[in-house]
Amino acid sequence: MAVIRFVAELDAGPCTGCKLCDLVCPSGAITMVDRIAVIDDPACIGCGRCVDRCPEDIMWMTERAEPIVRTVSPDEVDQGEVAALLLKAGIDANVSVCVCTLTPASEIAAAVVKGARNLDEVSAMTGMRSGCGIYCVAPAMRLLEAGGRDVSTAKGHRWYPCTLALWDVSDEARARYPDAFIDQDRAAFDPDGVFAPMEHLTKMAARPSEAELARRAGAFSTSTRKEAGA
Amino acid sequence: MSPHSSALLPPAFMPSDYGPALRTHVATLPSMTSVGVRELFPAMPAAVTEGDPGDLDRVRAETRAALADVDMGKIGVGDSVNILASEHGFGLMGGLPYAEMVKTIREVVVERTGCRDVRLRLAIYRGFKEADEVREHFGFDEAFDGKVKGLGPFDRGVEVDTAIGPMWLVQRAFDADHFIHAYYDDPREMYFNRLLYKSFKSFCMSYARFETRSVYHSLFGNRSGSIIPRALFDSDFVQSKYTFSSVLRTSPAGVIGIDATDDLYAIDRRITASHLATYGRMQRLFAEIGDCVAVWDGGRWGYYLHAGGVIFGVLLTNHHDSFDLDVPVVAGFMQVPGAAVNFSRNKALRGIVVNQAWVGAGIPYVTMPFTSPMYIVGDEQADLWRQDPTNPLLMDRATTVDTVEAGIEMALARGRTDKVMVFDGSYGHITCNEPMAALLRARAPEVDRVVAHELLPKWLAQRGL
Repeated sequence: MAVIRFVAELDAGPCTGCKLCDLVCPSGAITMVDRIAVIDDPACIGCGRCVDRCPEDIMWMTERAEPIVRTVSPDEVDQGEVAALLLKAGIDANVSVCVCTLTPASEIAAAVVKGARNLDEVSAMTGMRSGCGIYCVAPAMRLLEAGGRDVSTAKGHRWYPCTLALWDVSDEARARYPDAFIDQDRAAFDPDGVFAPMEHLTKMAARPSEAELARRAGAFSTSTRKEAGA
Repeated sequence: MSPHSSALLPPAFMPSDYGPALRTHVATLPSMTSVGVRELFPAMPAAVTEGDPGDLDRVRAETRAALADVDMGKIGVGDSVNILASEHGFGLMGGLPYAEMVKTIREVVVERTGCRDVRLRLAIYRGFKEADEVREHFGFDEAFDGKVKGLGPFDRGVEVDTAIGPMWLVQRAFDADHFIHAYYDDPREMYFNRLLYKSFKSFCMSYARFETRSVYHSLFGNRSGSIIPRALFDSDFVQSKYTFSSVLRTSPAGVIGIDATDDLYAIDRRITASHLATYGRMQRLFAEIGDCVAVWDGGRWGYYLHAGGVIFGVLLTNHHDSFDLDVPVVAGFMQVPGAAVNFSRNKALRGIVVNQAWVGAGIPYVTMPFTSPMYIVGDEQADLWRQDPTNPLLMDRATTVDTVEAGIEMALARGRTDKVMVFDGSYGHITCNEPMAALLRARAPEVDRVVAHELLPKWLAQRGL
């Protein structure tokens, strides 16, 4: 959950239509209309990145009269689907994916289950990326990908598909970097051995059989770790 | 030396839009003193400089000496070369030593190869105006004939195929025929990088898109994350453009020299062995502090401000030995199941007083004021924090105070401690009050012994050194 206290505004007169603000907006709140930036107030999650990016210095942040809350609560979606998505992505439900807003992985997964189609929509729904906008991206994209979304396309260079995780490292790569603690970290972070490489990443690591995946799913649901929303 | 106290003044730092107006340093308070790093650990190597602008000729000479034997044969007269510099280097001792090394690399490359198209690429964190501030403050436009550009994680990317899969670097870093890795060896977040191939980290951070940075931080552990920068460095794309590395070498005492060669793995082994012995002692000495108040008093993000060459983040996370690789995670995003939080806190930290520091780090200060009372000096600075989207909850809990003296007094009383350590960017010494100085002096000899005879052999063996 994120409490959004600020909103971006601009003096449209001197806007040159350079689109740099649009490119760095994490929630898709900026569009270009007749080569002028237009901010969709309710969609702005107050990160301020556009203000810092604007080469004309014609944007600023204003405190909202009333803060707005961005969140997807556990009761909005099927928690079984959330847990299945987290398992497929190999991400623990309780990890704070966005450490600026303390948004847990379970909420990001819930946004995907609720229907978020891309990174912008996850950010708009949860407030994720309203802080640094950097470290939360890969887990969110991995959850989108696990949910069947196409993460390869984005307007401009808003994002690139990059969802590699510890579970995806191939045997060849492990052999090339034997001192990278891959096996040790897998054992530490996934002691039940339930996480597997993502399906799309099979070129990096051999995907387990369906029977093995089913076994892991069973172990996940009965493991001691807290499940999403619990 | 301050006119009112026995403390040494820290290096001057770059003014910035990302921080408050410059304030008087805490070192000038009568209650402050300085403890020399080599007073605590006499075997620590002597420094070339602690950041004094008068020492820059020595940095220049060291750089030229280190580059003398470097093979620059890949660089042709008509080629283009990017010197890649990273922003944290400009936070080391005020940034002048690193800037001097960078400028000297250009001079030597031009002299040795005849190449004139030598550009500077300034990798910054997330502030889009930061590169402009750096280029102006350090005179890079003059030094590079205007061939200076900033780059950051939100800039256009280039896909790189690596041994572990495709990842994305920043295109502008590699938009020349060749590049030079102009680095500094500040171990910085030793609780995260664990001194595992730290010399390669720029390839998954400074030179990388935000997606790659996120993979490194969020989808791998402290230890296994070390595979990411190496896989990028070893990729065909990076190797096709790589020429050599030049690294500003440090210890907690200050700059100790320059290491330059095309073999970054060799440099890393030398740095790791040196750091385990030097920064390892400081890390363990910080662990001896049972209770204290920290003061931020510098021109960078508070998390990255130095005291005796060690950043505040080390004090914050000093609940574990960061260099012990048997510990899976000290601080980070991936957790061992059942662990409480991603970034747990050293309970010895009883309060934080912010005299001056940048906002906007995006590093989780968020929960700090929930467990360690924070005191922000001045309304102007409090407003900066209030508007910082990377720390949206901080000012709900932090207290605004009129003066740093009032903040320290309140923090000491509330924290029931009498010890103050100041993170003001100092190398070579720690700015602190007398009770802290007494503790550090009393504990250093035993730390020195334990590190030398017990911990250092283990740390080295864990890294195959």
